[in-house]
Amino acid sequence: MFKRENLPAEASIFAVFVGIAILFEVLGWVFVGKSFLGNIQRLEIIILQVSIFGIIAVGVTQVIITSGIDLSGGAVLALSAMVAASFAQSVDAFAPIFPQFLGLPIIIPIAIGLAVGASCGWINGSITAYTGIPPFIATLGMLVTARAVAVIYTEGQPVYSLSESFTVIGSGAWPVLVFFVVAMIFHLILKHTVYGKHTYAIGSNEKAARVAGINVRRHKIMVYTIAGSLSGLAGVVMCARATIAQSGMGTMYELDAISAVVIGGTSLFGGRGRISGTVIGVCILGVITSGFTFLRIDFYYQEIVKGMIIVGAVMLDQRRQAKQRSRA
Amino acid sequence: MTSTSSTGGYKTEKSWKYWLPKDISILMVLLGTALIFEILGWFIAGQSFIFNTQRLTIIILQMSIIGIIAIGVTQIIIMAGIDLSSGSILAFTGMVAASLAQTSDFTRAVYPALTDMPILVPIFAGILMGFVLGGVNGGLIAYSGIPPFIATLGMLVAARGLARWYTSGSQVSFFIDDYAILGSGIIPVIIFLTTAMAFHFLLRYTRYGRYTYAIGSNEQAARVAGINIRAHKVLVYTLAGGLYGLAAVVETSRTLTAQSGAGMLYELDAIAAVVIGGTSLMGGKGRITGTIIGVCILGVITSGFTFLGIGSFYTNIVKGIIIVAAVVTDQYRNNNNGNR
Repeated sequence: MFKRENLPAEASIFAVFVGIAILFEVLGWVFVGKSFLGNIQRLEIIILQVSIFGIIAVGVTQVIITSGIDLSGGAVLALSAMVAASFAQSVDAFAPIFPQFLGLPIIIPIAIGLAVGASCGWINGSITAYTGIPPFIATLGMLVTARAVAVIYTEGQPVYSLSESFTVIGSGAWPVLVFFVVAMIFHLILKHTVYGKHTYAIGSNEKAARVAGINVRRHKIMVYTIAGSLSGLAGVVMCARATIAQSGMGTMYELDAISAVVIGGTSLFGGRGRISGTVIGVCILGVITSGFTFLRIDFYYQEIVKGMIIVGAVMLDQRRQAKQRSRA
Repeated sequence: MTSTSSTGGYKTEKSWKYWLPKDISILMVLLGTALIFEILGWFIAGQSFIFNTQRLTIIILQMSIIGIIAIGVTQIIIMAGIDLSSGSILAFTGMVAASLAQTSDFTRAVYPALTDMPILVPIFAGILMGFVLGGVNGGLIAYSGIPPFIATLGMLVAARGLARWYTSGSQVSFFIDDYAILGSGIIPVIIFLTTAMAFHFLLRYTRYGRYTYAIGSNEQAARVAGINIRAHKVLVYTLAGGLYGLAAVVETSRTLTAQSGAGMLYELDAIAAVVIGGTSLMGGKGRITGTIIGVCILGVITSGFTFLGIGSFYTNIVKGIIIVAAVVTDQYRNNNNGNR
């Protein structure tokens, strides 16, 4: 008999992922008469769709491990995309935002997008760390503010005619590659560096972490700043893929990211969670969204199901924690 | 540990400030804000901001709907909870109420068999549906112990989905004539003030209110004292849901149409009004009267920005900053009290 302890921690989430995929496969044969998984094009679309909010989810995972929350991911994505895109317009752009900054090398818009995201994250982190207000209020304020700044930036106009060298980042398998590289890097950082140890320590017991000599405030600011710059990166990739930046981009992505993180087994109470779980959580959300479209179920139901999934995943986590506490 | 009471009367030496009404400082902020817009108005627009009856009427009407929601949110926040789902619940309950208020003259009604019904049916249907969704919020929070903002975030998404699903995204209009009365003239304001008054007294003078404050200041102590915490939480969230339903009825009868996109970001306005009004997000402290003034401040700011011809997106930025600033102020106030 195999012992559950010997399995990797993500085995159960992975089993859920496989189960959902098989469920849609069976439903697909019964209702649509087609294979769900045996369609390379569909698989590609799923992976591409999820990589954008997957990048945000990597940052949100770390914030949630510190027992914080970040509701501003989608709005920061939109703002970063708008600003980055305005520096990525091609030489022959019609009515450019900055006529003096056309055809810049691609590194400049990318760096600017990341910097905008990082500044938003830094503000989130500083407000949370220094005033002690609940993180969800601070990031809720950022959600509203960043979205509004994104609109004001171009007075609501979309930014288009992006240079071809810039749109390369969003073409083909690039978004997926960016997502996996980012996930891998932060997986290693969380597991093997002081940064990671401090992140888990603050999440499990903030007071103990402070007594142990961790500069809690500085570390929190760092985690939120990293999360912000990842949202910025997601914005850069997204506008490169769409070859246009709009202020309405990424609406509700913060919800998708949080659900992916929670489905992936990261506890909202902090101190526990893994990037690998988040990657599987992101894939589960992607399969569900794509499966619903595949079965031609209305978009309206998807929202209802998504709401239930978030609540359900947190409830499971609550049970798990209660069980562990009673065992101890 | 200091024993805190709901009224905050733990200071032994009573300064002259103690005898002032508790909400005087927020009231000063309201007057100050109005004054700033008045001065800016004379300088920039060349006309008075306050002395325009039409503008005042619009402010008050606009804010009554947010106000009705904010009354429910106040009680939840006093209990150290939060509700992010009010805007979505408003949208869904609005759809339900509107679908039962259609006239038979309209051939493509949602329920062709249920047209021309007495006005009480849609009103009760809306409030009842609000009770149900609020009850779901409360039940989830009380019995599964998940953080309120996650439970209500789930409801935010799910209720908006329900609102779209209800009519497959199309809007509901063509109401019976009576239904429009609820949103006409001064009626929304009367509904708002009546509800506010009722809940002000409930919170101050009844066991319901005592329990709400007790749970918010120290849940453990409240449990030990014999309060049925779960039942009370479900009750508060359910009542709040009913208030959202009421707000939805007023809103749909004022705009004469129900859309699934209604009430977008109302939850933020409501929370902002509550927090500006001095209710602490940490729970245990707060008053409906403060919320009313908070609602007025938000209304003056929104209307003032429009008056000065500043885009609505700047209003959003200011709103975001105000929410954060109000919570930060509250945090400092709490710290100061703790030090004393």
